Amino acid sequence: MSLHSRGYNRQMERQRGFSLIEVLAALLVLAIVITTTMAMFVERQKRMQAANETILAYQAISNEIEVRRRIPYDKLEDPDVSPSTFLTLKEIDVLAPLKPYAATVTVGPAQNYVKTVTLSVRWHNAQRVERVSIMRVDTGGSGLW
Amino acid sequence: MVKRERGFTLVEIVVVLAIFGIFIWIVVILTADMRAWEKRMPINFMMHPQISGVVSRLRRDVADARWPYYPSSQGTWQQSPTTLILDTLREAGTTETVVWDFSKEGEVTRLAFVAEQQQSSWTAHGTPTFKILDFPIVEHPDSVRIQAYDKDGKLAIDQIFQPRAH
Repeated sequence: MSLHSRGYNRQMERQRGFSLIEVLAALLVLAIVITTTMAMFVERQKRMQAANETILAYQAISNEIEVRRRIPYDKLEDPDVSPSTFLTLKEIDVLAPLKPYAATVTVGPAQNYVKTVTLSVRWHNAQRVERVSIMRVDTGGSGLW
Repeated sequence: MVKRERGFTLVEIVVVLAIFGIFIWIVVILTADMRAWEKRMPINFMMHPQISGVVSRLRRDVADARWPYYPSSQGTWQQSPTTLILDTLREAGTTETVVWDFSKEGEVTRLAFVAEQQQSSWTAHGTPTFKILDFPIVEHPDSVRIQAYDKDGKLAIDQIFQPRAH
């Protein structure tokens, strides 16, 4: 056998291609890399989603605070004036993307002329909750707050 | 002699494709919820520093507004659903008249005047189209409601402000 033909045979052996095991191993590595990257991407999106939902919830809560702090102190427990649902979500609902949700207002008992008004928004089957409390002080009917 | 020139069998190719298909299916499942959520939610304009700047500066102007709060005009500007004019407190305790001009698409301008002389001008860019509404609170009909919708018509900003007691 000439030197030329021995070199030709070695070259042909190198060109035999990949085995199934080699291709599967390569795919496994690729799958691990892509899945890890996707998992990071999905986690980031979930956190963005939570932040966006929180911003919507706080918009609704801050609007409701503006109304609740103007309700007279002695009418905070009057369901006709101060119902347990949000007054600001009747016609325009900034929380619509969070449906089904529950937006509730509770008024704590008076202690030393102070009542605590708690505004809550629950969504994702009550797994997500944002809550803000404001203190209402009995000022004897003045406009201070 | 050449070894193993035969290439892949059909079974080998099907196995590889099946494994890759399972992997792609997992990726689709992982992202399906995310895509559904993106369709439902409005754009989060509050993440934009200039838009959140508009909201926070307007909140402060309205909170510091002084009676009679909203003059009907200032120079050539008139109160309208795209223009808000209000008398507000400055840091020194004096009053200035502020014009919030929402009439131009993509920008919001705040102009401040003292005795008809313009004192400052600030323009925020890349903003959505804002709308000014009234939100009457019983016995306190001086509230302002500001809203902005995204390009798909979803309500993205809805804020109620009212002057505080001085």
